[in-house]
Amino acid sequence: MKPWRKLSLVTVLLVGIHLLALLAGFVAPYNYATQDRDHPYARPSRIHFVDCAGKFHLRPFIYETSLREGTLNNYIEDCSQLQPIEFFLRGEKYALAGLVPADLHLFGVPSPARIYLLGADGFGRDEFSRVLYGAQISLFAGLLAAVLALSMGLLVGGVAGAFGGWVDEAVMRTAEIFIAVPWFYLLLGVRAVLPLEMSPLSAFVLVVAVIGLLNWGSPARLVRGVILSGRERNFVQAARGFGAGRGYLLRRHLLPMSFSVALTQMALLVPRFILAEVMLSFLGLGIGEPFPSWGNMLADAQQFHVLTAYWWMLLPALAPVPVFVAYHALADRLQERLQSAN
Amino acid sequence: MIRYLLRRLGHAIFLLFGVSLLLFFLMQLAPGDFFSTARLSGSISPASIHALRTEYGLDKPLPVRYLRWLNSVGHGDFGYSFAYNMPASALLLPRARNTLLLTVPCLLISWIIAVPLGVLAASRRGGWLDRFYSGGTSALLGMHDLLLALLALLLALRTGAFPTGGMMSLDAAGGLWANWKDVLWHMALPAIVLIVGSLAPILRHVRSTMLEVLDSHYIRAAEGHGVGRLTLLFRHALPAAANPLISLFGLSMALLIAGSMLVEVVMSWPGMGPMVLEAILARDMFLVVGAVLLSTIFLIAGNFIADILLYVFDPRIRINA
Amino acid sequence: MIQSQRRIRLAALARAIVVVFLATGVSAGSQASSRPEFLRTTSEAGQPGGRLIIAEATEPKTFNPVTVIDRPSRDVVRRMTGDLIHINRETQRTEPALAKSWTASRDGKTFTLRLRRGIKFSDGVPFDADDVVFSFQVYLDEKIDYPQRSFLFIHGKPLQVQKLGPYTVRFSFVSPYAAAERLFDSVAMLPRHLLEQPYKEGKLNQAWGLDTPPDKMAGLGPFRVKQVVPGQRIVLERNQYYWKIDSKGQKLPYLDELVFVSIPSRDAQVVRFQAGEVQVLESLTAENFLAMEPEQKARHYKLYDVGPGLEYNFLLFNLNRGLESKLPEIARKQTWFRDVRFRQAISYAIDRAAIVRLVYQGKGAPLATLVTPGEKLWLDSSIPIPEHSVAKARQLLQSAGFSWKADGALVDSGGKPVEFTILASASNAQRAQMATLIQQDLKSVGISVHAVTLEFRSMVQRITDSHDYEAAIMGLAGGDSDPNEALDTLSSSGSTHLWALDEKPPLQPWQAQVDELMQKQLITMNYPGRKKVFDQVQQIVAREQPAVFLASPHILVAAHEGLGNIRPAIIENYLLWNSDEIFWRTPAGKR
Repeated sequence: MKPWRKLSLVTVLLVGIHLLALLAGFVAPYNYATQDRDHPYARPSRIHFVDCAGKFHLRPFIYETSLREGTLNNYIEDCSQLQPIEFFLRGEKYALAGLVPADLHLFGVPSPARIYLLGADGFGRDEFSRVLYGAQISLFAGLLAAVLALSMGLLVGGVAGAFGGWVDEAVMRTAEIFIAVPWFYLLLGVRAVLPLEMSPLSAFVLVVAVIGLLNWGSPARLVRGVILSGRERNFVQAARGFGAGRGYLLRRHLLPMSFSVALTQMALLVPRFILAEVMLSFLGLGIGEPFPSWGNMLADAQQFHVLTAYWWMLLPALAPVPVFVAYHALADRLQERLQSAN
Repeated sequence: MIRYLLRRLGHAIFLLFGVSLLLFFLMQLAPGDFFSTARLSGSISPASIHALRTEYGLDKPLPVRYLRWLNSVGHGDFGYSFAYNMPASALLLPRARNTLLLTVPCLLISWIIAVPLGVLAASRRGGWLDRFYSGGTSALLGMHDLLLALLALLLALRTGAFPTGGMMSLDAAGGLWANWKDVLWHMALPAIVLIVGSLAPILRHVRSTMLEVLDSHYIRAAEGHGVGRLTLLFRHALPAAANPLISLFGLSMALLIAGSMLVEVVMSWPGMGPMVLEAILARDMFLVVGAVLLSTIFLIAGNFIADILLYVFDPRIRINA
Repeated sequence: MIQSQRRIRLAALARAIVVVFLATGVSAGSQASSRPEFLRTTSEAGQPGGRLIIAEATEPKTFNPVTVIDRPSRDVVRRMTGDLIHINRETQRTEPALAKSWTASRDGKTFTLRLRRGIKFSDGVPFDADDVVFSFQVYLDEKIDYPQRSFLFIHGKPLQVQKLGPYTVRFSFVSPYAAAERLFDSVAMLPRHLLEQPYKEGKLNQAWGLDTPPDKMAGLGPFRVKQVVPGQRIVLERNQYYWKIDSKGQKLPYLDELVFVSIPSRDAQVVRFQAGEVQVLESLTAENFLAMEPEQKARHYKLYDVGPGLEYNFLLFNLNRGLESKLPEIARKQTWFRDVRFRQAISYAIDRAAIVRLVYQGKGAPLATLVTPGEKLWLDSSIPIPEHSVAKARQLLQSAGFSWKADGALVDSGGKPVEFTILASASNAQRAQMATLIQQDLKSVGISVHAVTLEFRSMVQRITDSHDYEAAIMGLAGGDSDPNEALDTLSSSGSTHLWALDEKPPLQPWQAQVDELMQKQLITMNYPGRKKVFDQVQQIVAREQPAVFLASPHILVAAHEGLGNIRPAIIENYLLWNSDEIFWRTPAGKR
């Protein structure tokens, strides 16, 4: 009973996160690529209710900021430029969920002023908008790679565990090689042979898919281990004694048994692949400019000058945490369910 | 037992062959070679670049290069580094030692922390401790090693409590004990980063494995018989969970070495990490192959230790083997 | 007797002289011949002692002065070796080093160098003309991997070296050579007594690796190898036989030790510098420079902005010939790239000021050509930096037959949309940022640009080998401030003529003219004449824009505030070039 209720709570959280990513265009006040060259590394906008004269406003507002004389990114608020925050206002065009053209935004300030909830990057691009758009890319990349790695792992690990003997031997030796070889070599090659006309998005998807397909080694080993120990279990032995075939055993007993392990793996793999993207950006294999992803935003934040001078650039680094919590919680609940069903 | 060991040795050799072959092939895929940027320095003529390529055999077909390399492995050289003009093994071995010096204690400490914590969390399923544990591990996983390392460096800078990199002070001319203390002091920060960075997956695995065991009938039965809680957890449940945990122990060695590469680069630890990173970007291929082979050997060693432990702890395996 | 001989020779010199530098002590009495002819410096006199810790991004890889090619190894080797004639990094002019004086023949073809007497290698063995002859024999040998060999060839003919006496060497060229003296800079003089045997055995390329015992190596630099700890540090110690003394007569160098530690990450370098574990930083990014500024006083260091260096970044289009069959898509786009109006339009559309401000945080200079403002002697300052003008860009594009669709996208005369890919190196954040800015800039004239970052070698391979690219952002930097440094980039057959490699014969009349002018400056012996020729080259480049030159970063360095004689320059090594004069001001600063 209880696990089901918990599951629904987690589901709500997960659906919420993915919906937010899907509707990024509506929630984000700006496009991810729009630069504001007068506001590089702008601080997060302060949201006021009381103006410089001490007057209270019911509608929250921000002050426009301008550069302090003689500095490059030291800003002061201009008391004469009060910009009320409006909701459901028209702004930059976007495609809702990548399909429906629209220009309605959840919130914003009248153009040409700009609101930076999480500050701006070195090109004056709104970090809040980039986090939301980045979610689309990172979540998709994580899921795609994890699903590919796991399907390969289940298939190969299942076959190895069920057949045993030389099949098992050959598969496991190959898996070991795949685990030991650093895959970024292949990735360097993959990106280099892709045609340059290919859009950055499709190139990225391809690279991610390759990563997923290459990482079947560990899941396969785990699945195979579970199946091997499962074969020794009494009821499986019994079924075999009644003359059950290999395919039947695999389908009815062994694979379901490995699902709990597979799901724990999945929950660990999605976040791991989201993070793997940081390394990709580092090698120049990440998604190309101007597209944002959590990987390249995090890579941006991991610099001395950012950490000391522009701390707010670190805020996007926290974006994956709720996603990770949700995915892990989901895996836990599913595992509990499977166990109680056994 | 001896037959078993021989079989493992066979596996290991097969693995090393496979890895080296695959690597040679992969490096063929990545465009450019060690000398391809030489032209940019302007003063090197295409003719002398060609001469260099010939000298190092880069113009030969892949199988020839592989055989040549095998031959040098036979001589204990593991190929030749273009950048250093030295045998790769002479370069890699001292650095591999430093990598092990950092990772092996981290591996042990990670498991010493992870096992009791995981067992405890599993025993309090759904409680506040368990929730905190799950949330905490998720958040930990969300932190990238690079970020952790950089934050640790900044912390060291602000507090002045730790050295900000390296493995030894310049004036470490004391006795053996003083030198060790110096190394330990330099090790503290990278070790913390490495442990924090690698702990989360282990923690999660210990917990989920324990949950599975605690759910099983015989533990329930033992519980029903009134076996004490701690005895139940550590005397009965933990050994039952040993099999998957020990397998993971072998793997975690490889994971930790991979993770330590990045940490070494940021914390300027003189291990294989900085050298390999540079060699990859410079296409100093034999150095890369050598380094990957060394980490493969570590992986094999990790698995081997895991196998021995399994053999000792899990009677079922003993019967099959 | 000896003295009178010298007088005669001196008199002979005075007649033929183009340049003569006399070091102090040369004509000082009869004991002079037995006393070593030290070079006396004019810098602030310091005090001996102490140790300097220097950060290197990667480990130095060799001590071999012949084959050394990477930056960290060069940093170390240059501290261990001496050259005949040296370029003063501060004045950018040549000055005597191991050669105390030299004369050029009137036709500019032969140079006679007179060596310092009584100088010893760091192992105590005397240095003389035989070492010089041996060194050049090695450098000119085809079998030796000497990266700078092409500098020793003029018009395809090698430089001839001839020993005239134990301390006199003559160099002859096939034709007059304007920058002949500069060619000797950083060409290390090798110890014949140590390297002749490996050379004869054909093992010189492998000599002096990191594992060579220190007592088997010697040089004429201020320092020599003391200790190597693999992966951690290289320690150099003071060379007691060094040939310079300060204005007070104290022997140089002042420092007892130089310690090179490898710190791979730039951020870690900054952190360790701030913590005082490293005492000089030779290359800072503008961002780190600004981030370090507030703590200068508290952490006892000083930051130096030396101004624009010799690095120039540029956007190049693929203008290579013969791609029609292999890469038809790129060949199609080349009809745009080949039109000078298209390149000029791109140049106007790019906001160079924004690059300087956003990429270099103001610590950079916009460029019109490849000559940076750092080359004070050679920059033609009458050439304006192309302004940022979308209107001018549109006008040029229109006149070149391009037009705009209703949605603002630019199309060529055939109605095809104008789109191309710009490559940038993933390991150079600045150039990747430039690509992002240019992408946005070109959008304003309706051009859609893909910015693709590639790992450096993949990118170089595309540009120099496969020619499979459309446009790219690259950076090059000369090792010296001299027109000859531009020879390889501007000549149609040059090895870094990246936009059209092996362009023989020149495609355009203006390229032929550039080729001719670059050869002319090579043999123009007087500075004003040479400058005039090079100005012409710059004007052609600014007009024709074979590539769109963007910006040049400032040289930014940092050093502990307790160090004396820190005089950073824009030629390598920015800080360490006078390591023999650097000293610790306060005894407290000594470590």
